[in-house]
Amino acid sequence: MEGLLALASGVLYAAGIYLILRRRLAQLIIGLGLLSNGTNLLIFAAGGLTRARPPVVPDGANALMDRYADPVPQALVLTAIVIGFGLLAFSLVLAHRVHATAGSDDIDDVGRER
Amino acid sequence: MVFLIVSPFLAAVLAAWFAGRYPHRAGWLAFWPAVLTVLFGIELQRTAASGGRLLEFPWAPSLGLSFSFNLDGLGLLFAILIAGVGTLIVLYASRYLGGHSQAGRFYASLFAFMGAMLGVVLSDNILTLFVFWELTGFTSFLLIGFEHERPAARAAALQALIVTGGGGLALLAAGVLLTDVSGTASLSAMAAERAFIVASPFYGAIAGLVLLAAFTKSAQVPFHFWLPNAMEAPTPVSAYLHSATMVKAGVYLIARMTPILGATPMWTTAVTVAGAATMVIGAYRAVQEIDLKRILAYSTLSALGVLTMLLGIGTSHTIVAALVYLVAHAGYKGALFLVAGAIDHETGTRDITLLTGLRRAMPITAVAGGAAAISMAGVPLTLGFVGKDATYEALLHANGWSPWLLILIVLASILLGLAGLLAGVLPFRGNVALVKDVHEPPWPLWLPPLVLAAGGLLVGLAPAILNGPLSAAATATAGVPVDVSLSVWHGVTPTLLLSVLTLAGVGITVAMRGPLRMRSWNPRAGSEDVYRGALAGLDAVSRVIGPTLHSASLRTYVMVIVTTVVVLGGTALLLDPSFGFAVPLTNITVHDVLIVFLIIAGAISAVVARSTMSAVLSLGTVGYGVAMIFLSFGAPDLAMTQFSVETLTVLIYVLVFRHFRELGPLSPRLVRVRDALIATGVGTFIGGLVLSIATTETAPRLREYFAEFGPTLGRGRNIVNVILVDFRAFDTLGEITVLATAAIGVRGLVRFAASDRRNGSRVSPITSPIFRTGARLLMPLLLLFSVFLLLRGHNQPGGGFVGGLVAAAAFALYAIAFGVSRARRALWVRPLTLLGVGLLLALASGLVAVLRGRPFLTASWFPGPVALGTPALFDVGVFLVVVGVVLMMIFSLAEDS
Amino acid sequence: MRLLVLPILVPLTTAAVLILAPKRPNPQRWISLIGSVLLLTSAVLVFLRVNAAGVQVLQISAWPAPFGITLVADLFAAFLVVAVGLVGTAVAGVTFSGLDPRREAFGYHPLVQILLMGVAGAFLTGDLFNLYVWFEVMLVASFVLLALNRTRAQMDAAFKYVAINLIASSIFLTALGLLYGATGTLNMAHLARVWPTMSTSGFDTVLAVLFLIAFSIKAGLFPLFFWLPASYHTPPAAIGAVFAGLLTKVGVYALVRVFTLLFHNAPPPLFTLLLVMSAATMVIGLVAALYERDFRRVLSFNLVGHIGYTTASLSLLTPAALAGAIFYVLHHIVVITNLFLVSSVLLRLRRTTDRAGLGGIYRDHPVFSVLAMVPLFSLAGVPPLSGFLGKLAILKGTFDAGAYWVGGLVLVVGLLTLLSMGRTWADTFWRPADTADLAAPGMPSLIVIAALSLVTLAMTIGAEPLFELVSRGAQQLLHRDEYVNAVLGGLR
Repeated sequence: MEGLLALASGVLYAAGIYLILRRRLAQLIIGLGLLSNGTNLLIFAAGGLTRARPPVVPDGANALMDRYADPVPQALVLTAIVIGFGLLAFSLVLAHRVHATAGSDDIDDVGRER
Repeated sequence: MVFLIVSPFLAAVLAAWFAGRYPHRAGWLAFWPAVLTVLFGIELQRTAASGGRLLEFPWAPSLGLSFSFNLDGLGLLFAILIAGVGTLIVLYASRYLGGHSQAGRFYASLFAFMGAMLGVVLSDNILTLFVFWELTGFTSFLLIGFEHERPAARAAALQALIVTGGGGLALLAAGVLLTDVSGTASLSAMAAERAFIVASPFYGAIAGLVLLAAFTKSAQVPFHFWLPNAMEAPTPVSAYLHSATMVKAGVYLIARMTPILGATPMWTTAVTVAGAATMVIGAYRAVQEIDLKRILAYSTLSALGVLTMLLGIGTSHTIVAALVYLVAHAGYKGALFLVAGAIDHETGTRDITLLTGLRRAMPITAVAGGAAAISMAGVPLTLGFVGKDATYEALLHANGWSPWLLILIVLASILLGLAGLLAGVLPFRGNVALVKDVHEPPWPLWLPPLVLAAGGLLVGLAPAILNGPLSAAATATAGVPVDVSLSVWHGVTPTLLLSVLTLAGVGITVAMRGPLRMRSWNPRAGSEDVYRGALAGLDAVSRVIGPTLHSASLRTYVMVIVTTVVVLGGTALLLDPSFGFAVPLTNITVHDVLIVFLIIAGAISAVVARSTMSAVLSLGTVGYGVAMIFLSFGAPDLAMTQFSVETLTVLIYVLVFRHFRELGPLSPRLVRVRDALIATGVGTFIGGLVLSIATTETAPRLREYFAEFGPTLGRGRNIVNVILVDFRAFDTLGEITVLATAAIGVRGLVRFAASDRRNGSRVSPITSPIFRTGARLLMPLLLLFSVFLLLRGHNQPGGGFVGGLVAAAAFALYAIAFGVSRARRALWVRPLTLLGVGLLLALASGLVAVLRGRPFLTASWFPGPVALGTPALFDVGVFLVVVGVVLMMIFSLAEDS
Repeated sequence: MRLLVLPILVPLTTAAVLILAPKRPNPQRWISLIGSVLLLTSAVLVFLRVNAAGVQVLQISAWPAPFGITLVADLFAAFLVVAVGLVGTAVAGVTFSGLDPRREAFGYHPLVQILLMGVAGAFLTGDLFNLYVWFEVMLVASFVLLALNRTRAQMDAAFKYVAINLIASSIFLTALGLLYGATGTLNMAHLARVWPTMSTSGFDTVLAVLFLIAFSIKAGLFPLFFWLPASYHTPPAAIGAVFAGLLTKVGVYALVRVFTLLFHNAPPPLFTLLLVMSAATMVIGLVAALYERDFRRVLSFNLVGHIGYTTASLSLLTPAALAGAIFYVLHHIVVITNLFLVSSVLLRLRRTTDRAGLGGIYRDHPVFSVLAMVPLFSLAGVPPLSGFLGKLAILKGTFDAGAYWVGGLVLVVGLLTLLSMGRTWADTFWRPADTADLAAPGMPSLIVIAALSLVTLAMTIGAEPLFELVSRGAQQLLHRDEYVNAVLGGLR
């Protein structure tokens, strides 16, 4: 399974980077979104995979037993997701503004004075 | 005494004010340097009798800097020159500048220069010497550029700054090296370490750097070109800085360094050759010029060459000769400059072809000029003669160098004599005055040159006055006691014959000056061209680099970054022998394969999508796939958050992207292939890393602790939530700040563009009644659910984030059904308020602990069976922030039209 | 030390108050100023404590390290936090001269406070993931500040800035995830303790490289620095002052922290790489500066070039070199902030900072010009100002470490800076102008510039105590035990 996830994150990074290198504003933003997902997946996988045993202490018990999923990467990823969302939403709107001001969605054109 | 040395800096501040208020009375400022001259003179007498003394005032010993001064003969001799000539210059300048509006600035810079110059010659600490050295360069920059409205002045000032500044930095490097090698920063102490220094492998570098500094400051070949250009400065400045003092600083440095670095073949050769070359070139160019100041500039150049050459040879005879020549030169050259200034002031021109017959109009000035000129020519009974005499004598006895140098110096002296006559006698000679309406300048303009010239004559008659001071100076330079005894008449010696020969030569050239000038030879290219070329080269390079740097496309920047990651990361990975993969630990199920397939398919689909909608949906697919992975591997909180966030993201993308067009490729195929390759490289790199890390066991340091203490001390069963609102609540605080700021940004961007309204499409609500009814029913249910999630979060999957997202979704749904304005009313408060309240709540929950004397954000719990405490409050704060943020974004975007 | 959290909470509270306060300029500016002064005060208190009693620590939420998040202040961090307060106060003061009203209405002041919060948090945190969070706080505030613009060029610059920084954050986060996977902890002191004892199957160098790249992008090192000069000259100059003075220094701080605590045993080629990158940054930055005709662009390139001084010294990793690096960072923050504020005055006077619009400033504003001379020529290294002292300290450090060519390069680049600043001075202040003033310079701005110039001068007068402090700071950085023990208390 680790291999599959490695493959998945690798593909996400690759796809994200490829889109970031494209000339259209919208593609750049989507690429950033893919990259963000890839990173989250990476953090999650790097922390070690435990199948279907969430770090929630069952009723009656006082501590987690045996194998459980590592809560730390989960907390980190959650934070990263939320932060990423905020930033991505903002970049999206910014891209829209750039598009509106420049009249073009070609990144190479955007800075050029008409 | 230390105070006296740095007093000119204080005087500079005073002068700025005083001369600004009373520009016509500025001559009174000359009082202070006069006092200084006297005091230094007294000190020199004392030193001549009993040797120098050291004064110390600490500044920054850890850096090796201290204000330590060595009052020995050499330093004091220069100090007297600086203060003495300075006195006369200040007096002169007061009338030369008239009531100039910028007089304050002028005197401030002048006095600052004086202070810096004194610091240079009296400093014992080599690093502090550098400080003063650079300050002289900087004040010189200010003074040359005094009339800064003229481009020529600005250019010359900048040129001088760079050339001498560069040399100065060389001095700094040399200073640090010397300090390291000799173990001390004190020049007087270094002399004792001489043998060690000379033997050290750094000697060559040190000596080279010091000479670089000296040569740039004293305008030796090939760094001589800045000096004639510096004549753009007002004449008092030229007289003071660029003839009597600053340019002599390099000579001083060579003299000061002789006991430490001198008397090696490298030193002797370099210094002597440079000096000789400068001497010849300077003298030759001097007689070609027609501008008075430039004649004097080049002749100064030549004189500096003489001094350098003599010091380079380094015998006690030549050292003494150099010192005598130095004093003499200060006298006659200063006088000539001031005379030139007086002429310029009265006639408005410095062109010697236009200046004749002025002696009737300016008799006193003429006397001054004439006296200075004959001293420069080396007529007996002048100090100039004594100087030349000593020089010839010393060179005659310098084995290995004569007769070449002797021939050269005789030739140079002949030309210099001519130059002196051109500047000091020619304008006054003759009966026809080409320039009309000339008067004698006011006394502050003729008195200083007269004093200087007269001094040259008087001391020339009784040179023995100088014996004491010069002995002290020479001793300091040579490192061995030197006794100086000057006299007017030594008898008929070869030296005398040489002097006579020189005078004869001067006479001949005077007669022949016409034909001489016509045969001038100017080299095609000189070192100034090298300087200009270097600057032009720099500019050319920067013209290539500059545009690349600041207007390259974003994609280039990204490309560089990504390539760097791949190259460096890949290299690091490959070079490390211990990198490897462990055996995969977790089993694979069909379920997982499908999800991963979904993710990959989504990613690829996003890449090749042609319309924004399909791209966005692909992104959503990827997000959902990732969420399912989270679910499979024991992260329910994470999965819920991911699902909600992804949905929201898609929603926002849809709201914004409706303004974008299609997504067909813009770049040519080759570029796309290249990008794909790079991207694949990154992907492979990352994939490899993930595989390796995922298969190594992560140390359970943190998770064990959390697993144990979460339920007990943290009073929560959902460990992830406990981490978020208790263990690592500080992270969460930062996170909601990010959210809040992003939301403010989105709102701001949308509203900022409000006046740039373009035709957008307002999102119209879906008016279907079924939908609306459904929305009306769903909304309160969702809200309840969100609160439920919030409350149970501490012990079951849920929590503030997810709850907030669900609550926001409820209102978003309402907005889709009924329009944004009704949704706003339903919300009742502004999203911004929710946001603010949420933040404050989170903050307050942390401050409760502070009130109880505990660190910020420590959990405080209400007593009782139900675990209720500040983390719950914090979570509520998070909840409110999330609602506020999401709604702020959605409402603003939906309203954007 | 309880107060350690103040430099982070004060700006947050100020921001919250500002959001709730009336939107008129006067209350906003006064609240900002008071908040910034409070920030500066708390920073000074922290510094005094650290100076007296050594490394200070606060465990947020009272969980022991490494399980909770720790705030740590050693001398280096304390110095930098004081700098944050100083820059914040300066920038708040300058707004009294006037600010674009639309910008002010859209939350300029709270955004600046949030930015300060992020920077202070970054300097004080002892947890790597927390560092990431503060980076993002700082970044998002800077994004919004940059993005509230009208012109096409500004939009373009903002967008480039956003995109590049998001990528840098991704790289940082990637490295973080991998690091946690490898070690199981995020606390910097804990990592310092456990990292050398672990065999992490080939990751040391890779992780070091990733962190190096992520932080070098933020610091502005070659070849990752192109975005900086492209964007720093566009925002209103007061914002530019904060960016130039603080944001790049966070990148430098992160590099210092990571390479002295964690990767000090990394293979030497990595340090050589950093050295080469720094050298290239120095040279390219300065050469490119010569091309520029716009005052702020010149400053941006000089900013870039001089970052190289600090990171080059860092790569040598000796006490003398690090002392030089710290000294230079402090000098650089003050001088660059001051220069950008000078450019804000120029903007006010002439509505442009392009060469064509400037000139004749000295004739019309002699006092301002003399004040501007201080930071301008301090940057160029004219003694006895702080630039010279910093250069001397670095020179000593590099020579001491045997890296003579680096020292030589420092001097050559210093000469280029002298050329750049000399030309700028001649062009902007001396050269007669074709245009006249469009507005008054604004007394508040002048006061702030004078104050910062005084700070520069104070660095000269107080060179000895300052250098002694800086040397102690360098020792603290290199001898990790004090830091680690303060946080972990000798356990585990």
